[in-house]
Amino acid sequence: MSDRPVALVTGGASGIGAAVVEALAGRGFVVGCLDLGAAVDGPDHSVAVDVSDPAAVVAAVAQIRDLLGPIGAVVTSAGYYEMAPVADIGADAWRRMLRVHLGGLVNVARATLPDLIDRRGALVAVASELAVGGGDEDAHYAAAKGAIIGFVRSLSVEVAGRGVRVNCVAPGPTDTPLLAADSPWRADDYLSTLPLRRLATPREVARCVEYLVCDATFSVGEVVNVNSGAVI
Amino acid sequence: MSTNLDGRVALVTGAAQGMGAAHARRLAAAGATVAVNDIRDSAELSALADDIGGVSVAGDVSDPAECGRIAADVVQATGRLDVLVANHAYMTMAPLLDHDDTDWWKVVDTNLGGTFFLIQAVLPHMRAAGAGRIVVISSEWGITGWPEATAYAASKSGLISLVKTLGRELAPERIIVNAVAPGVTDTPQLQVDADAAGVELDDMHRRYASSIPLGRIGLPDEVAAAVELLADFDVEAVVGQVISCNGGSTRSRA
Repeated sequence: MSDRPVALVTGGASGIGAAVVEALAGRGFVVGCLDLGAAVDGPDHSVAVDVSDPAAVVAAVAQIRDLLGPIGAVVTSAGYYEMAPVADIGADAWRRMLRVHLGGLVNVARATLPDLIDRRGALVAVASELAVGGGDEDAHYAAAKGAIIGFVRSLSVEVAGRGVRVNCVAPGPTDTPLLAADSPWRADDYLSTLPLRRLATPREVARCVEYLVCDATFSVGEVVNVNSGAVI
Repeated sequence: MSTNLDGRVALVTGAAQGMGAAHARRLAAAGATVAVNDIRDSAELSALADDIGGVSVAGDVSDPAECGRIAADVVQATGRLDVLVANHAYMTMAPLLDHDDTDWWKVVDTNLGGTFFLIQAVLPHMRAAGAGRIVVISSEWGITGWPEATAYAASKSGLISLVKTLGRELAPERIIVNAVAPGVTDTPQLQVDADAAGVELDDMHRRYASSIPLGRIGLPDEVAAAVELLADFDVEAVVGQVISCNGGSTRSRA
């Protein structure tokens, strides 16, 4: 174990999560990761786990904690994106979307909250611009991400009195592996509608996460929108 | 990945004390040359400019001609203008029918009008540089409204709409416009509030803290941290947004 503060990042193997790992390491954190995939180079320790599985998350968090130390910051970035007309969203697709995004956040929050309270730490959830603005054929994704915002705002008030700050970022379409090469969000006719005329980058989202973890000491229940102006 | 403003010039208004001074110090620490403005020259303003290696450009931003003169003076002294932090504010409160008409408009013309004309004044210089950052200090009351603060709340919510509109209008030119909405913050304004309520300053702090989920009021530098993020030239994708620093007060009662 080291004297440096410990951060836990879910979905840290790629995209926004990987950029968050780099940003927090740059601010002096030792970083542990939970990710579905195999271990990657960036973090100090990675555990392969499905964040929608509560027992597996408890075990994975315990493993990170034993190796790196008590956890002072948590960023939940694990997730996936798929579009479908609402009539085509079956019970399994609906359930999976909610269990991974909202369930992943709840499971990790429960497993880490005692540490966060002890250390007056911070939790930042990655929501989505689609939770704020909605989107065509985004019903289950937007519902899951919207639930994250409701959860964050409520938990933030529940634990603020004990010095824990809970906030979220709501990225717009971001240039990550989550966004397929043929995604409509990459098409010129969509990009031209954005005030910034381009996708957000993982680094820009990570910079906002870094702000909420390290610098936003008087913000709780806040949603920082980093979306190239897609929703204002 | 901390903010690097080396070689950039920032103008911070209302900088003689409180939050404006904190913004100026924070941006200077990130590498910027900072021009500090307040309504009049003062020992505090000069001392701040000296302390952070910046310049002082006093002037009344409620006068559109002065906004132009202030921006020109900054550019003359430093050669450029990359960042505007519009932090100046004038505030009086009164029940609607009791609020003197001239004073009501002074609040709006200073807070909303002053920021509008300042943005007009700095825009050519940001366009010349090919990028810019405009950070407008709104207020929690611009989001929630507040009894007997019609002029102040109108001016501050007007600033939010101005930021949303100019965020859209100027982002294609890489001039990024956003706002910060502070809640109750430990500045000299709180002494005014305490005097108005007829209580001691400490008691005023406790009264405010009791309705804030984090259980305390904010510090100027905690607001300045949000200003630093929005002045970061490595972050473009935050456009037309409002970042709150209020300890959770707009989310829920403690």
